[in-house]
Amino acid sequence: MRSDTYTIVFTTIVTVVLGLGLSVTADSLRERQSINEELDIKKNILSVLGFSLSSDWENDKIQSLYEQNINEFIVDKTGSILSSIESSNSDNYTIYQSRENDKVTGYAIPIAGKGLWGTMYGYFAIEPDAETVKGITFYRHKETPGLGAEVDKEWFQNNFIGKKLIDTNGSLVSVEVVKGYVSSTDPKSMHKVDGISGATITGKGLTNFLKNDLQKYEPYLSKVRKLNQIESL
Amino acid sequence: MGENPISIHVLGICSALAITTKIDTAVVMTIAVVAVLSISNVVISLLRNNIPNKVRIIIQMSVIASLVIIADQVLKAYMYDMSKLLGVFLGLIITNCIVLGRAEAYAMQNSPSKALLDGMGNGLGYGTILIAVAFFRELFGFGSIYGAQVITNQIYLGGYENNGLMILSPGAFFILGLIVWAHRAYTETSDKD
Repeated sequence: MRSDTYTIVFTTIVTVVLGLGLSVTADSLRERQSINEELDIKKNILSVLGFSLSSDWENDKIQSLYEQNINEFIVDKTGSILSSIESSNSDNYTIYQSRENDKVTGYAIPIAGKGLWGTMYGYFAIEPDAETVKGITFYRHKETPGLGAEVDKEWFQNNFIGKKLIDTNGSLVSVEVVKGYVSSTDPKSMHKVDGISGATITGKGLTNFLKNDLQKYEPYLSKVRKLNQIESL
Repeated sequence: MGENPISIHVLGICSALAITTKIDTAVVMTIAVVAVLSISNVVISLLRNNIPNKVRIIIQMSVIASLVIIADQVLKAYMYDMSKLLGVFLGLIITNCIVLGRAEAYAMQNSPSKALLDGMGNGLGYGTILIAVAFFRELFGFGSIYGAQVITNQIYLGGYENNGLMILSPGAFFILGLIVWAHRAYTETSDKD
């Protein structure tokens, strides 16, 4: 039987050595990891805004596509664009605007909220008219594979495309995920998409947080709509 | 053959269910487990004459946990998409009883070279079953093998549908059960020879 002192010294040495090893690894890999995370976010923003990406693209290619076409800016709750200096304030929201040949082709906003098992994170894209849906993606969620995780599937995401965010009076109604199918005779079918069978709670959660997030951007989006109207006159 | 950790000792079932919906995740998981298991076995074996008996499990756990964290970090840096797919299960190698089991049962008594072989053998045995389960789940659940679509559109148009059950955990239970049954039936008969 070894002495207690030996046990303590041995344990201490092992802990220190392992701890040192871990911190060296974590520190030396941190830069690469954060590059990966940023790139993943950029990929998501590009794809929700309708840029088709190929999975074998080099990182630089995605990076340059992003830099050429995406313009990030921050708006506050009244819808005015802020310079980045004020971005420490919590009541401001990031918008990713895509441009091609100096023409705005869409707006993407981050969305997040509770699904069934945990928080779902994604992006929601809106056409330049600021009222038609351009796309939706999710990059992180914990929904059940085969049920709630169908939100990742094309059939579900494509249903959003072309839906309207505002009614004829110009007030925000967002897009609702219904239970079952949207009937074609429903006068509000422009604001509804088919639900996923077996994933009612995922759909309800999505309906709620989508509306919630859109409300934050509504002041800015309504300004865009007014500007569009003036321009078209 | 008679000592496979999953089919004979029924260890590591949790991860076998979780990451076997596609073959590529199963392959990466296998590589991670082989690496962690081999290195942890060698480290424990090198320390085996110095580890105080009272705290040996804690020491083993710390070595394993550190290796798993390193594996997780490396994957995040070099295979980001894969680490997103494996998610929490890579971290859960720590709780995979195979790793601690081999450290306690084998590496504590044997030389580093033997422990290395034991770790690799057990890791590969675990991986074989993972990949076998993933093969069937991917084939019947997605109609593909290692990402390549083998069930063509014509078959789908003919009324064939992917089996959703295969993607969910019960599908893995059924396949794992069948594999364990087949393996045990086979080893039993070969024992009698």
